[in-house]
Amino acid sequence: MQYLLQLLISGLAIGAIYGLIAMGFAVIYKSTGLVNFAQGEMTMITAYVAWTISTTVSGNVFVVAIGAILAAVVLGLVIERVVMRPMLGEPVFATVMVTIGLAVILRSAINFIWDAYPHGLDVGMGRGIAHLGGIGVRTGQIAVIVTLLLLLAAIWAFFRYSKIGVAMRAVAADDRTALLMGISAKKVHALAWAASSVISGIGGVFFALSYDLSPAMFQLGLKAFPATILGGLDAVLGSGLGGLLIGITENLAGGYIGSGTKEVAGFAMIIVVLMVRPFGIFGERDIERV
Amino acid sequence: MRTGDYKQTYGELVALVDSPPVWLWSAVLVLALIAAPHVLNSYALSLLTVILITATGALGLNILTGYTGLISLGHVGFLVTGAYAYAVLVAKYQMHPLIGLLGAGVVPAAASLVVGAPSLRLKGLYLAITTLAFSFIINTAILEMRWLTNGARGISVQRPQMFGVSFDGDAAFTYLCLAIATLTLFATLNIRRSRVGRAFVAIRDNDTAARVMGINLHAYKLLAFVTSAFITGIAGALYGLYLSFVSVEGFPFLLSIEALAILIVGGLGSALGAVLGTILIGLLPEATRIILGLFSAQMDALFTTGAQELKSMLYGLVIILFLRFQPRGLVGAWHDIRRTWVHWPLRY
Repeated sequence: MQYLLQLLISGLAIGAIYGLIAMGFAVIYKSTGLVNFAQGEMTMITAYVAWTISTTVSGNVFVVAIGAILAAVVLGLVIERVVMRPMLGEPVFATVMVTIGLAVILRSAINFIWDAYPHGLDVGMGRGIAHLGGIGVRTGQIAVIVTLLLLLAAIWAFFRYSKIGVAMRAVAADDRTALLMGISAKKVHALAWAASSVISGIGGVFFALSYDLSPAMFQLGLKAFPATILGGLDAVLGSGLGGLLIGITENLAGGYIGSGTKEVAGFAMIIVVLMVRPFGIFGERDIERV
Repeated sequence: MRTGDYKQTYGELVALVDSPPVWLWSAVLVLALIAAPHVLNSYALSLLTVILITATGALGLNILTGYTGLISLGHVGFLVTGAYAYAVLVAKYQMHPLIGLLGAGVVPAAASLVVGAPSLRLKGLYLAITTLAFSFIINTAILEMRWLTNGARGISVQRPQMFGVSFDGDAAFTYLCLAIATLTLFATLNIRRSRVGRAFVAIRDNDTAARVMGINLHAYKLLAFVTSAFITGIAGALYGLYLSFVSVEGFPFLLSIEALAILIVGGLGSALGAVLGTILIGLLPEATRIILGLFSAQMDALFTTGAQELKSMLYGLVIILFLRFQPRGLVGAWHDIRRTWVHWPLRY
């Protein structure tokens, strides 16, 4: 029982990180119709920038947090403006392949700028251990679960009530009609890339806090993929919850079946999901007209 | 003056090449490739071997992604399955190398039926993600099945001896790769001009319309997967032989990306494109190294310290630039040049 609870809690913690990155995928998919294969790399860059700030400028939590968020915003905007906007109106296949090319470039750039050794992000908190009913949990792990839930609520409210959120939904639903209604698709896309970069960047910083920074971190993006497929590519909230589910599944499979299965539990799960319900649990079904 | 590209009989439409000089130039190319191992130094020869193996793999992916329009991000999974099938059959169970090569095709083809099954329901991105998942699952399966695959330790393979000919030497091995690459090229060109190839292209262009025309989507999509996996598996076995050691690390995920980059750079849906793309991507790191070396020794030093990073950055950059400025790839550029040449001084 103790073992199960321990697995569940650490599964929730890593799942919350997957959830944040999966929300990043979903925000971009929802407003631009693209799967961004460079999401893991963008997450990684934000985490590395946070680490650089913590070692060179100041280890204060607020300085690091604000610096990382600003860096993520700039990263998202630059990628949208320089790489993605020229591809506007091109076929989806071409545009998605561009994000794959971008992923390869960013990954090598990280290895080039920072070194290939693992680093721990130290902001003076998050590594302590709290005891919940006899189970030791890192405070950073609690913080990431709370952050995910808060962000889920905030994003739900944003898409439901704010004018910009409604505009983003409009562009996603039908970009031509949205243009005719006076919505600037370019600005909506730029906003989506910035928001996605920030949301997944938060996940990356929490990952660096609870585990370690290393060049293999881009795999977080691949691990978060199953989460967003499970929740539905166009469902931002569903992706967040999908992350929690994948995290728990992974940990249970790793704990009870074997450590090898931990790596692929999520992938095995999405193959099943794709066969049964390709649009995800919370996603909307595509209806094709002839 | 040539006023058009007239094709009056059905036979002309499906001919392998549309002008006789192509045969001549192809023969010259083949002769040059046969002479190459005796002229090139061992470094250039190994580069040629890699290009021939890569071309085989790229032609395999071209059947699936280029002809049928099903994007695969997990082709490295078929590559590694083929390499392991050969290694297990030949190095572990001492079978004849020819059976090993056949197994390197058949085993991935069987595996592709499993991956192909979801493709009957999925399209585009979803299929790409499924194949991606497949390649990770294959890697884990290979690492877990220690009794068969030696797990993370890998299997070392010897270059084969067939029909009294030893392929141990570099030149002989290059000939083996050349023979298989040429066979593959002819096979894919012939598939393209057959009834099957036309069905593949119809599915790519519009699957609903293809179905209405009476094409059995399920059968043809699975056929595309099986054919593609068969060819890719053989390329994998050759690559394993080239490395003379088969392990999961020898087949990184980047190879899947590289294969797609080759197709995009060459021109999607064309066998010639796959070959041209392979040559460009295969020579790109070398060419960059030489050009950078011309500027300064410092740049050259940079290349030796960060070779792997620079190489993958180049792949990424080339993919993006081609998609942005020349989406039809090298084949498209070649067609434009040829048209300008033929019709000059008229524009078209």
